[in-house]
Amino acid sequence: MNMTQQTSEAVRPHDWPGLADPVHDSQRLFRQLLGAMSEPGTLTELVLPELPTGAAISPAAWGALLALCDLDTRVWVDQGLARANLAAALAFHTGARLTDDPAQADFALVTPDTLSREDGFALGSDAWPDRSTTLIVMVEALAQGDDWWLSGPGVPGERGLALGNAERALPLMRVLAANRAHFPRGLDAFISSEMRLTAIARSTRLAGPGLAATDDAEHQEETA
Amino acid sequence: MNTAIDSGYNFAYLDEQTKRMIRRALLKAVAIPGYQVPFGGREMPMPYGWGTGGMQLTASVLGADDTLKVIDQGADDTTNAVSIRAFFERVAGVETTTATAQASVIQTRHRIPEKTLRADQILIFQVPIPEPLRFIEPSEEETRVMHALEEYGVMHVKLYEDIAHHGHIATTYAYPVKVDGRYVMDPSPIPKFDNPKLHMSEALMLFGAGREKRLYAIPPHTRVESLDFEDHPFEIQAWDEPCAICGATDSYLDEVIIDDQGARMFVCSDTDYCNSRSEEKA
Amino acid sequence: MYVAVKGGEKAIANAHRWMADRRRGARDQRELEVSQVQQQLGLAVDRVMAEASLYDPELAALALKQASGDTVEAVFLLRAYRTTLPRLAETLPVDTGAMRIERRISATFKDVPGGQVLGPTYDYTHRLLDFMLLAGVEVETDTPAPQGAEEGLEACPQILDCLNHEGLIEREEDDGSEPYDITRDPPDFPVDRATRLQMLARGDEGYLLALGYSTQRGYGRNHPFAGEIRQGAVEVEIEVEGFDGPVCVGEIAMSECQMINQFAGSGDTAPQFTRGYGLAFGRNERKTMAMALVDRALRAEELGEPIQSPAQQAEFVLAHADSVEASGFVSHLKLPHYVDFQSELELIRRLRREHAERTAATAEAVSDTQAASARPAPGDGDKADPEKTQAKNVQENVR
Repeated sequence: MNMTQQTSEAVRPHDWPGLADPVHDSQRLFRQLLGAMSEPGTLTELVLPELPTGAAISPAAWGALLALCDLDTRVWVDQGLARANLAAALAFHTGARLTDDPAQADFALVTPDTLSREDGFALGSDAWPDRSTTLIVMVEALAQGDDWWLSGPGVPGERGLALGNAERALPLMRVLAANRAHFPRGLDAFISSEMRLTAIARSTRLAGPGLAATDDAEHQEETA
Repeated sequence: MNTAIDSGYNFAYLDEQTKRMIRRALLKAVAIPGYQVPFGGREMPMPYGWGTGGMQLTASVLGADDTLKVIDQGADDTTNAVSIRAFFERVAGVETTTATAQASVIQTRHRIPEKTLRADQILIFQVPIPEPLRFIEPSEEETRVMHALEEYGVMHVKLYEDIAHHGHIATTYAYPVKVDGRYVMDPSPIPKFDNPKLHMSEALMLFGAGREKRLYAIPPHTRVESLDFEDHPFEIQAWDEPCAICGATDSYLDEVIIDDQGARMFVCSDTDYCNSRSEEKA
Repeated sequence: MYVAVKGGEKAIANAHRWMADRRRGARDQRELEVSQVQQQLGLAVDRVMAEASLYDPELAALALKQASGDTVEAVFLLRAYRTTLPRLAETLPVDTGAMRIERRISATFKDVPGGQVLGPTYDYTHRLLDFMLLAGVEVETDTPAPQGAEEGLEACPQILDCLNHEGLIEREEDDGSEPYDITRDPPDFPVDRATRLQMLARGDEGYLLALGYSTQRGYGRNHPFAGEIRQGAVEVEIEVEGFDGPVCVGEIAMSECQMINQFAGSGDTAPQFTRGYGLAFGRNERKTMAMALVDRALRAEELGEPIQSPAQQAEFVLAHADSVEASGFVSHLKLPHYVDFQSELELIRRLRREHAERTAATAEAVSDTQAASARPAPGDGDKADPEKTQAKNVQENVR
C-alpha cells in the first residue's frame, strides 16, 4: 500500500484508471470476484493499470469497485484510505455515492484497524441477510499460509491464509469469525493486497491465533 | 465470434447496470448458501417460466471466452434448449457446445449432467418456484419468517404425511435439500436422482427464478443433504434395465413409448452422456 | 432401433414461418398497416400500453399487429422492448388536476364545477352490430365533426377536491417519500400503497375487472361511488439542470378514476368517506374503475376492516396480477416435463404394485381367517410409526 503523503488534490478523477473495455473487463473481474467468494481463501490476481501516486487502496480493491459499483450503490470509506481524490474518482468512474453512515453502505473500504474502531456496518436481518455491507479490506500482505484456517462452504477440508502481521489482522478476523454466531446475518469480505485478492464469506468458519476456539459445535457434530 | 452479432443490444442482451445488480446479488447468494436473494428481475424476450431467471444469470456471468451448453430435460436438442442456445449465440456470439466436458457455463432445466462437473465449470439452473415451502405456505411474508427462524418443521410434517399415506415420501422431483446445515432449499425440479450431485460438488451451482425474482447458490464443496427420516432414508430412483442405446446403468432414464401397444424402452435423458458412451463403444 | 428425436431447431424455424404466414392471412387482402391499428383500434393500443408500462402508441400498434391481435402477447412484446430502454430521466408526478379534459363524469353529484363532459364513449350506445361498418360504408364522412371536442379540452378542478372543504372525504397527502420502483426492484411483501398502485396499473385488465366485480357482489364490499372519472391529456415534465422550473417533454392521454367509499370511522377518526384510486395510460376507463375498486379493497387492513375476501388479500391479488408473468408460467406447462413425469411414473408404479401386494395379502388373510371363522385384520401394512419417525436433518431452532 502506498501511504506516501501527497497533495492528493493534484490527482484528478480521470487519473484513476477506468476499464478499457467496460463490458468485458467488468465481466472478467466479476468472474474473479465470484470465484473468490465461492471458494474462500483462494487467491486471485486482478490485472489493472497502476493507480495514481498517493492512492491508499490496492489496485485489486479498485478493480472490485469498478466491477461492482454504480449509481445504485453507496460506499463508505475509511478516512485513512480516502486519498488521491478517491471519492471524486469513484463518482467519476462508477457513479457510486459515498456515505458517512456505515449502516447505509453497500461496500466499505477498510483496513483491519478500521474494524477495531467502527462496528456500525449493516449485517442484514434474519429475514433479509443480503441487506448487508460487503467489506473491501486492504491488508499489508496476502498469501497462502498457516496463520488463519478457513473451512465451510467452498473449502474442501481446510485452507490456510497469511495476512501479514497476524496481530494487526486480528480485528478483521475477529469480526469475520463472529459471523458464525449471528449467521445468516453477517459481513462478507474481499481482502486485498496490491493486485492480489481473496474473499471470506459469512458462511466461512475461521480459526487462528486470538480467535475463540471454534465453538461451531453444530458444524463439527454434523460433519463428524 | 467474440462480438455480439445483433448490434442493437448489449453483449449478452442485458445492459451493464442490470448485470451489475445481478452480480452483486450473486455474490450475496454464494456467501449465504441456499438463501434466496431477491433481485430486480427483468423481462426477457422469452416468456416467464421458460428460463428467464437462468438466462439472466447466464447473461450476467457469461464472457466472450466462455463456452456455453444449454440443456432441457438433460437434452441439448429439446426445443427450449435449442431456442436459448440460439439466443446466446445471437446476442453474445459465444461458442456453444453439446459436450458437457467442453462447456464452461451450462444452463439447465430439470437435470444435472451425468458427467461429474469440474471446478472450472458453472451450472446455472432455471427455477420455476424457488420457495421450497411454497406449497405448504403460499404467503411470501410467512415463508420469509419461517426461513429467518429456521422453522422447517412443516416440511417434515408434509414429507411425513406422504409416508403415512403412501408408505413412501411421494416427492420425486424438486426434492427439498438442506444447504450447509441451515437453509432448506428447492433444488429446482430436478429428479431426486440428481440430488446427490449437489453435495460437495466441484462446480459452482447458481439458481435463477426470473418470474419470482429470486436467485440463490450452492458454492463448491458445500454440504447438501436431502431431507429424510431415520426410518425412511432418502433414496434415489433405480431402473430394472439399462439404457437401451448405450447400456448405461448409472444414468437417469426416460421412458419412451415405441408402438401403439404401449411397448416401451428406457434411454438416457442426458443425450451427451448417452452419445459419448455410444461413440466410445463404437 | 430407436433413435432419439432431433431437429428441434428445424421445427422451431418452421413453426415461426407458419405463424408468420398465418398472421399475414389471405394474400388477396391488403396487409394491415400499423398506423391503421394505431388509429382505428385505439382502445386495444391503449390497453397494451397500460399493461406494458410504456407509452408508445406506434410500437403498441406494431406489437398488436405482430401478435395477430393477441393482447397478452402484445403486452409481452412491448414489455420486453421496454426493459431494454435506458432510463434518461425521471419525470415529475403528472398533475391530473391540470388534465386537458375530453371526458369527465361524476356519479355522485348532478352538477359540478366545470360541468359533466360526456366525451367520446360507448356508454349509452345500443349494442347493435352496425352492418354499415361490415359493408364498409364510411358512415362518418358526411356527419359534421363532433361538437366541442376542442373546447372541451381544458383543465378543470378535481371534483373530490372541490367538495373537500367539509373534510367529508379523506385527504391524500404526498409525504414526499421516494416511491419504490417495481420495474427495478422486486416487491417485498407487504408493500405500501404506492407500490400496490404501480402493480395494479400494469395488472391484467380482465383480472382486475373480476376482482373489482367480486367486491361489488359482497366479497369485500366497500360501497363504492364513482366520484370522478376523467380522461384527457396531461403534460409530462422533467427537471433539467440549468433550467428554472420543470420542462415539459410531451403530452400523453390518461384515464383516472376516483372512487368514494364508505368508512364508519373509528375511535380517533370521525366518519369519513375513503377513496380508491385508478390511473392508466390512454383511454382505459374500465381498467381504472376496476383498479380503484381493488385499491380500496386492499386498504382493508389500513382501515381496520376484516380481511375475508380474495380482493382484500394483498399478496394474493398483487402476485398474480401481471399478465406477462401469469401467461408465461401457465404456458410453460407446454415445455417438456418428461424427466419429472418419469419420476412420478416410477413412484406411482411402485405404489400401485405395493397396493396390489397388500390387497392380495389381505384377501389371502381374509380367506384364511374366514376358514377359521375370525374377523379379518385391517391391512395397513407397514406404515410409518410416528413415534419411530424422527426428523434427521431438521432441527427446530426457533430463536
